Amino acid sequence: MVESKEYDVLVIGGGIAGEEAALNLANIGYKVILVEKDLSIGGKMIHLSKVFPTLDCGACITTPKVSETARHPNIEIFTFSEVQDIEKHAENDFSATLIENPRYVTDDCTGCQICEEKCPVVVEDQYQWNLVGRKAVYVPFSIANPRIAVIDIENCSLCGLCEKVCPANAIDFSQVEKKSTIKIRSIIIATGFELFDPLLIPRYGYGKFKNVVTSMQMERQLVPTRPFNNVLRPMDGKMPDNIAYVLCAGSRDETVGNPICSQVCCMYSVKQAQLLMGALPMADVTIYYINIRAFGKGFCEFFQQAKGMGIEFIKGKAGLIKEKENGNLIILYEDIQQGNVKEAEHDLVVLSVGMLPNTDFTEIFKNSRVEQDLYNYVNKVDELCCPAKTNIDGVFVAGTSTGPLDIPDSILSAGAASAEAAGYLNGGVK
Amino acid sequence: MAQINPDFGKVLKEYGALDFNACYNCGNCTAVCSLSDEENSFPRKMIRLSVLGLEDELESSVDPWLCYYCGECSSTCPQETDPGELMMTLRRYLTSKYDWTGLASKLYTSKVWEFGTIILLAAVILVLFIFFHGPMTTQLTADGGVKLNTFAPWKQIEIGDWIMAALLAFFLLSNIFNMYLKIVRSKKDIKIPFSLYFTELWALILHFFTQKQFSKCDTELTGKKYTLSTYWIIHLFLMTSYVIMLIMIMVFLPWFQTDNIYEWWHPQRLLGYYATIGLTVGIVYFIIERIKKTSEKSKHSHVTDWTFLVLLFLTTISGILVHFFRIYGLPYATYYMYVFHLMALFPMLMIEVPFSKWSHLAYRPFAIYFNNLLLAAVGSKK
Repeated sequence: MVESKEYDVLVIGGGIAGEEAALNLANIGYKVILVEKDLSIGGKMIHLSKVFPTLDCGACITTPKVSETARHPNIEIFTFSEVQDIEKHAENDFSATLIENPRYVTDDCTGCQICEEKCPVVVEDQYQWNLVGRKAVYVPFSIANPRIAVIDIENCSLCGLCEKVCPANAIDFSQVEKKSTIKIRSIIIATGFELFDPLLIPRYGYGKFKNVVTSMQMERQLVPTRPFNNVLRPMDGKMPDNIAYVLCAGSRDETVGNPICSQVCCMYSVKQAQLLMGALPMADVTIYYINIRAFGKGFCEFFQQAKGMGIEFIKGKAGLIKEKENGNLIILYEDIQQGNVKEAEHDLVVLSVGMLPNTDFTEIFKNSRVEQDLYNYVNKVDELCCPAKTNIDGVFVAGTSTGPLDIPDSILSAGAASAEAAGYLNGGVK
Repeated sequence: MAQINPDFGKVLKEYGALDFNACYNCGNCTAVCSLSDEENSFPRKMIRLSVLGLEDELESSVDPWLCYYCGECSSTCPQETDPGELMMTLRRYLTSKYDWTGLASKLYTSKVWEFGTIILLAAVILVLFIFFHGPMTTQLTADGGVKLNTFAPWKQIEIGDWIMAALLAFFLLSNIFNMYLKIVRSKKDIKIPFSLYFTELWALILHFFTQKQFSKCDTELTGKKYTLSTYWIIHLFLMTSYVIMLIMIMVFLPWFQTDNIYEWWHPQRLLGYYATIGLTVGIVYFIIERIKKTSEKSKHSHVTDWTFLVLLFLTTISGILVHFFRIYGLPYATYYMYVFHLMALFPMLMIEVPFSKWSHLAYRPFAIYFNNLLLAAVGSKK
């Protein structure tokens, strides 16, 4: 039996909350292991264009944090890895199994992307939310960290071209899953959220009508590293000039099992609408809403600014979306202010999808279970006194694992989690 | 000035409504409703009026009668407010409001009244038969049939029939007139030219005989079709059967209640078979729907929905048995079954026609008629 590695804190999830928590603890001097399921750390935020309500560049805020985390001497990062079978033996004494999935590319990779050029297999690019394609061997995205390639073995044709052209000899098809045991003294869950899958609302036609897209697909069209270098609608590549946003697509909706507000959709839609006014100056943007929830500092002003820019706000949930032959879409809605049914034609419809809990955390413990709240997020057992505390002492929670939060609130929550974890490590919080 | 009445919800709850106060006014129900258009936007309007308790406005609304409960508003409502069931509840509520006697309201909201009335009316029939029935002869006719008209001569039954018909017509027509006052006359700012009453009459006749409004429930949402669907056919079958039976009993009783045994192809038998099959199939279908709760509209059953189906079922089955007992020459079985038949029939008609579910058959086409009148009068008809 190989002796297991020891760390002070295990942070599960390398999104903005996980990074923040890891950095805080590492800066105090604790040894941190950060385990990320995805190929790169950075979470969802690294894929965003601007953040509300300041319209700061999202990547410009998140990438320095990502680099700092990656380079910190007290933090060890495992991407494309998972933890399982976490067991608590005593206070400050946990063990877990670390599973490192094979990338089939070693750390020698320089990210030169020559392999990508040669690879003959093209599949949908999940990091561009399926707007464009990628190769079977690929660097996840341009600002990924670590910026090394991976082979998507399920789609790979095993032709071996990448292996031949790689100048660093980094391709290694013989890699297998690696399992090891780690010992830790405390855990922070920062597994984040999932985006709502709009296929669950068939009447909105997502997946059936090509010009119905999700807000994340629109977000990708607005970032500097965007796939088309322009905003285009999927069906025919036309530049849309009449765009609709459908709010509460999958939030505040009992019929899809998510009755709560996602807290961010109103504001990110207002933000995207403003960015669209810049990207497509001639376009009309209409936002269909139930209530605009502009509750944070500067949010209401941001909303008023959008109104002032000429974005149309219509009170009324879109009931039904129909497609015309030319790919344009008809939205049926009740204009609540006037009290009657109306139809409106748009050439692109964006579904402002909400946040759902990522429930991976329920399966990683061996003998115990992290309590879930009413909406399946991690239950905060003492929300007012110890907002990061879970039902297991020594296990804390940060970011959107606790519920829908925007970016600043996620970072605040991570701060709380790291402070509580530090207290626990020093024998304080029980 | 309208006055808000927050307690009105409690009143509506007695008629069956669910948690309509949960509505957050997103307008989804109105947008998905295939009957809702620029002129008539519902059901959210009805929910709003119910939440606020604006009784006068509710009483003058036609919207609940236009709805055939496809259930799509309910299945897609993000707050699970169940607008479809509210519309059903409002139909019950409006039925009791059109009824000036106040009986409908009692029958809907009190089980004691509902069952008490059924038992009382059945008892009246029983008592009448105990005292006034004809001789219970075991002699059969030359064809081998039971001499039913000796036990219960059609002449006397017909007198009872006419009294009942007069009562039903009086109550139902006065209720419809009341409905007219509430829906049309309450809108004082709309003047209706006299000629319109005649030119719009076709809608009343058309909708009464075809239940055509159903076909508008065809939906793009789920691709569900109501035109020529099982539901629509069975509903139409049941409805026509019922009307045929009612006409035969009310108008052609001497011809219908005969001691002769005709050949199977005789119209008296064919019409009777059509109607009884239609009624049985329809009732069984709707009972199964309600037990299985297969669709939105069968999910929630008010106690009156059950009494209606059960009474109708008992009436139909006993009527069929009377027919067969008679032609196969079983005198006592025929007589007892005949009394039982009338004991189910009388309360069924007396309760359902003017005060409960059968009245909807009249209210629906009249609502469309009144609505068309109003629309034509303001000149906004499409």
